[in-house]
Amino acid sequence: MKRDLIREAAKRFRDTSLKNKIFFSILAVILIISIVIAMLARWILVDNLIDELELRGIAIGRTIAERSSGYILDKNYPELLSLIFDEAKLKERQHLVSYIFVSDREDDVLSHTLTRPFPESLRLANRVPPDETKSVRLFRVGDQMAYDIAIPITQGIYRIGTVHVGLNQNHIDQLVGKLRTTFLGFLSLVVVIIFVITHRIAKYITMPISKLTQISDELSKGNFDVKLDAEQGTDSGQPLECPAFANPDVPCRRLDGELAVVDGGAEILGTDPVCRDCRFYRRQKGDEVAQLADAFYNMIWSIRLYRRRLRESEKKYRSLFDSGPDPIFVVNPHGFEIIDANPRAVEVYGYSREELIGKPFTELAPEHTHKYFQSLQDQGETHGLVTYPKALHYKKGHTPFYVNLHASNIAYKGQPAIVLASTDITEMIEKDAQLVQASKMGSLGEMSAGIAHELNQPLNAIKMGSDFLSMMVEQQREIPPKDLHQVVAEMSTQVDRAAEIINTLRSFGRKAELVTERVDINKPIQAVFSLVGRQFELENIRMELDLGRGIPAIMAHDNRLQQVFFNLVTNARDAISEKKGRLPGRPAGRILIRTFQEGDQVVAEVEDDGIGISDAVRDKIFEPFFSTKESSIDMGLGLAITYGIVKDYRGDLQLTSQEGIGTTFKLSFAVA
Amino acid sequence: MSYLNHVNEQGGVHGRTIKVVAYDDSYDPPMCMANTQKLIIDDQVFALFCYVGTPTTVKVLPMIEEARIPLLGMFTGANALREPFSRHLINVRASYYQETGAAVRHLIDDLGLQKIAVFYQYDAYGFDGLTGTELALKRFNLAPVAGGSYNRGTLDVQEGLNKIMASGAEAVVMIGTYDPCAKFIRLAHEQGFRPLFYLVSFVGADELARRLENQHGITVVMSQVVPPPDRLDPSPLLAGPDGYVTLLKRYFPEDQPNFVGFEGFINARVLVEGLKRAGADLTRQAFINAIESIHDLSLGLGINIAFSASDHQGLDRVYFTRLANGQFSLIKDWADIKAQLDASR
Repeated sequence: MKRDLIREAAKRFRDTSLKNKIFFSILAVILIISIVIAMLARWILVDNLIDELELRGIAIGRTIAERSSGYILDKNYPELLSLIFDEAKLKERQHLVSYIFVSDREDDVLSHTLTRPFPESLRLANRVPPDETKSVRLFRVGDQMAYDIAIPITQGIYRIGTVHVGLNQNHIDQLVGKLRTTFLGFLSLVVVIIFVITHRIAKYITMPISKLTQISDELSKGNFDVKLDAEQGTDSGQPLECPAFANPDVPCRRLDGELAVVDGGAEILGTDPVCRDCRFYRRQKGDEVAQLADAFYNMIWSIRLYRRRLRESEKKYRSLFDSGPDPIFVVNPHGFEIIDANPRAVEVYGYSREELIGKPFTELAPEHTHKYFQSLQDQGETHGLVTYPKALHYKKGHTPFYVNLHASNIAYKGQPAIVLASTDITEMIEKDAQLVQASKMGSLGEMSAGIAHELNQPLNAIKMGSDFLSMMVEQQREIPPKDLHQVVAEMSTQVDRAAEIINTLRSFGRKAELVTERVDINKPIQAVFSLVGRQFELENIRMELDLGRGIPAIMAHDNRLQQVFFNLVTNARDAISEKKGRLPGRPAGRILIRTFQEGDQVVAEVEDDGIGISDAVRDKIFEPFFSTKESSIDMGLGLAITYGIVKDYRGDLQLTSQEGIGTTFKLSFAVA
Repeated sequence: MSYLNHVNEQGGVHGRTIKVVAYDDSYDPPMCMANTQKLIIDDQVFALFCYVGTPTTVKVLPMIEEARIPLLGMFTGANALREPFSRHLINVRASYYQETGAAVRHLIDDLGLQKIAVFYQYDAYGFDGLTGTELALKRFNLAPVAGGSYNRGTLDVQEGLNKIMASGAEAVVMIGTYDPCAKFIRLAHEQGFRPLFYLVSFVGADELARRLENQHGITVVMSQVVPPPDRLDPSPLLAGPDGYVTLLKRYFPEDQPNFVGFEGFINARVLVEGLKRAGADLTRQAFINAIESIHDLSLGLGINIAFSASDHQGLDRVYFTRLANGQFSLIKDWADIKAQLDASR
């Protein structure tokens, strides 16, 4: 219980203001010292006083004892009375001495100063033992306490009587009380003075602190224009008189330190008279409190300078954000909600700003977003930049378009965030597509001989079938149902085959959609094979397919992949032709296409035994308009387009080649 | 005493008779003190009355203060009984200051005397008279030309006389008792020193007159605080049924009316008046309050007694008498004295 009280008091003390702490601490110390002094002084003074008074009483008694012996022997009691009365009533002594009486050898009272009957109790109350020269006792006389001091009266060696001096204890108490009052009064005065001084000191110390606290409060409320100087009485001038305040680009020696000099501010600082004797930063003079105030003032001024700079900077970057030519988003790294978007984003994506904010970014870009956000997060919270080219985004109304996306981690309003800048590259993509298309058309032209041949075969077969049928009809011959069925079935098969070739052609020539789809990688390979396989055979190049079964799909476009494989096999054929053409007898060439799954990658390899690629050109073969071929119709775009397509599908294209032996292109795509 | 007897005979005051317990202190202060203690403790008196003498009375003042007992009608005009003011001390007569003051004024104004010496008893009484004289002279920017003294209870006046004679004083203010004063006057006269002798009331007119019976050609003036109680005066205060002369003749037929007796008579009148006014429930404080309520008690012969809470002296008047034909009689005209003085030179 008591402990709780103490704890409560301690807590109160802790919570109280500094001023009160100082104040009460000093006060408590002074009070304790005062009490100790008071008690000591009381002890010393009061004891001394009582001793002194007792001594006075004894002295009175001795004087009377000396002078009264004659009267006692003469039995001159009136003189004795007169003596003791004079002694008792001598000026201020009369208050101290409450009675004096003289008794004889038998303790019978000879004279006393009382004006009332002598109390019998007093007579024998304090007898001096035979060997003593005095005896002091405190006892009650009537209604008051008295110190009875008994002094023997001697004549020669014999005792002839005793003097009793009664000291009024009330009077002693009064004296003690007076002493105590005076002393306590003095101490109280000291305490009051200390109280006032302490109060002043505490106020002096805490007033600036309170003021600072007040200013800090103002600052924390965002009011940075608090008047600092009103009571400090110094003229700091208008803030705009500070060059660094007026122009945030001007560095301040105090604020920027040595950097200012490095940044070329030396000139300004060295020559500007304002800065040489800065009117805004205070020199820290005076006592600690004043220094604190100055330091605080300086801090505020720095904050004001910083704030101003920050505001300018913010303004600058805000304008970049607001009027930037590309859409910029700020995205929450956890839920991917859009926190902020600039007007350009609104314009490009077609949503209003209100619609954008709070919308998950993945809604704008469903594909791969998680992946690159993840990679961004892996790079750390504060830095990291991810560039994501040709990302497919959707405008309002689910209209897709391509963007190049740059994402990096930033801190936005104190929270980690991701800033995304997207550049609309749809137009470029379309140009690409057109280029691809043009290239495809070129390929088609190149393929036309093979295709024509390919179409010719079913046509010939149909022709033969129909000729046979027509001949049988002309000769009026019976066509055995078995034969008829065989011919018709064969014709139908050949029509189907032709139709398939045409379909393949059509699909090859079709312009690809923007949106990728799940594609079985074997399909485009088979399509290409069906288009060019026969033709290659005519050129004595055998094309072998080794397609894996159950390979997962990838995200791509079927006809673009056809183009990829078409370009690759065409290049292979060219390489083989180049090699075989130099050889006698034109030996057969071989192209092997294999597909398989390798981890989470779907891999397709195109291998030939052609001339190979020299190390000198290996780095260049993916560059556009690079060609080793002599024919003027080849524009050297084939491999460049191939590489571009593979990269569009986040795939990889690797090349291994041995000059004179062959080349292998290895394509790998992520499993969808 | 005669008045108190008379009052007791009439049935006392509020049914109480007044008993007087008297002790002789022989004009010895310690004795007086012992007697006072005895009166207070052993006799348990209600009040102290008619104490005689300055040193004796002054001596017992502390005891009176402590005992808080009223003391009324002291035969002394000592200033110590008046200042500092004490509630328990009730004076009736005028003070020595008043006596000497009035005397000095007469000596200077009426008789044109300048050189005034003081002969005094070397104790509280003498000092009081000396101080009064000095104060009075000071008002005229004068000081005593000489001072002579003697010890109480002795007759060693020669030394003082020599001093005063040497100063050539024209008047001698004497504050003493009758024996030394009579001796002083006699010796002065014998030695051809003939100034005006002025004595304060305490000296005792009749005793002095008797001792100076055979001296002629001396000028002796005495101040009194009561008028002369002339046995032939028809005033009711003296000759009335309860007058001083009547009652004295009745209770003490062998005694002659005198100043001291008359003063005592007046004191007794004040005492009885106070007791009457204090009412049936008599206490010391009530008695003092009663005395203080006497604002204007006219007894006749021009004696008006007035007290108040801050004034414990009933009378202020001073009467001057001169010695002629063996007795003191009221001075009617100071010019006669002046003439006599001039003649004696």
